[in-house]
Amino acid sequence: MISRSVESSDFESIMDWFKEGIEDGENGILVYPNLQTFRQIYTQYVKDHLIAREEEKEEEEQKEKGNDDDSNDFSDNNNNRRKGQLLQMPRIILIATFYDTVNAVKHNLSAVGVDVQSHIDHGSLLIVDAFDGYYPNTDGMKKLVATLSERARKEGRIGVSVISNMGFFFLYDVDGAASELISYEASLSSKTYGGNIKGFSCYHARDYDNLFDSQKNDLLTQGQKKSLEITESATDVPFDT
Amino acid sequence: MQGLPSLIVMVVRLPLSYKKQDEKEDNKNDKPLANLLVVDDDSDIAHVLKQGLLKNRFLVTAFTHPEEALKNFQSNSKDYCLMLSDIRMPGMSGIRLARKVKEINPNVKVVLMTAFEINDNEFSKVFPSTQVDGFVQKPIGIKNLTDKILDTIGETKRRLNE
Repeated sequence: MISRSVESSDFESIMDWFKEGIEDGENGILVYPNLQTFRQIYTQYVKDHLIAREEEKEEEEQKEKGNDDDSNDFSDNNNNRRKGQLLQMPRIILIATFYDTVNAVKHNLSAVGVDVQSHIDHGSLLIVDAFDGYYPNTDGMKKLVATLSERARKEGRIGVSVISNMGFFFLYDVDGAASELISYEASLSSKTYGGNIKGFSCYHARDYDNLFDSQKNDLLTQGQKKSLEITESATDVPFDT
Repeated sequence: MQGLPSLIVMVVRLPLSYKKQDEKEDNKNDKPLANLLVVDDDSDIAHVLKQGLLKNRFLVTAFTHPEEALKNFQSNSKDYCLMLSDIRMPGMSGIRLARKVKEINPNVKVVLMTAFEINDNEFSKVFPSTQVDGFVQKPIGIKNLTDKILDTIGETKRRLNE
């Protein structure tokens, strides 16, 4: 298990973990302290992948035009990989929301400058109610993600990011939910080689704290999953729960 | 000034029971319709509901943390007539809170509210293990909410007025 803990004020580390800590083919666990922090994370993630990426791509294309003669100078593998990624279609980002409505998520994204409808229309962004994905059984979500993964491959996209709020599993009964939740998490492998899905199972700390330590350990599939626990900073102003 | 009377007599009629009558009216109006427990993890919504329902003659105790609401209910379960709670709340959902509240005092009415589309499936899973007396789709105006609460507590309200 690669577990990390970080304060919510260290937003750069949080986003680094989101972007680099979990690779394609991996499923990680995020525990967030409040909804305000969670909203900041998913809006920033979408911004970075869909808006910033478009800007970088434009810059890269400008550079390409200006440096045609030096086109063989790209010896650095990372640069080449980055360039290659920029030439690909963007990731598909799936947000399965639970405590915010789908409209609230759209509103939050719009508030930070994301052209939500355009990205939805282009197939790069999908926002669903997690309840519909996990009820009546978790197969619904798995099928949806598998479909998106397949579409990403066909469309030559970088991959799929799934940001799923796991609050659904705490809706009815904690004891019953824990076993359902653990078996669901266990079915998401910590690493699939060649996979193109980055999965983020996101837990509100107050839900997560309802679990026993043994259940938390089981959730991390006996220590194989990467996890990031965000703790509330002393400077946090309570915005919501 | 000649020809005008030098004395003007004014007669003011004051009801003898003026104050007493008014006090009676006030007392009648001040009598709360019911004592409500309101729970919503969104502090803005909890505040608006509390203020709106207070204006409509309810006694209201509001919480943003369901765990704290439950603790309060455990100590004052006989004081409350109805609990109005959001469904999707971290830490303890409204469905679980409703179950616990009913276990403590089955006579308390429970109305659950949600901003999400009310999906039959969502609630079919709850019944019959949790007896919920009503559902409310947010956003809802205070007048409609008041009517809904009054409908739900109809019997209890009559009992209170007896």
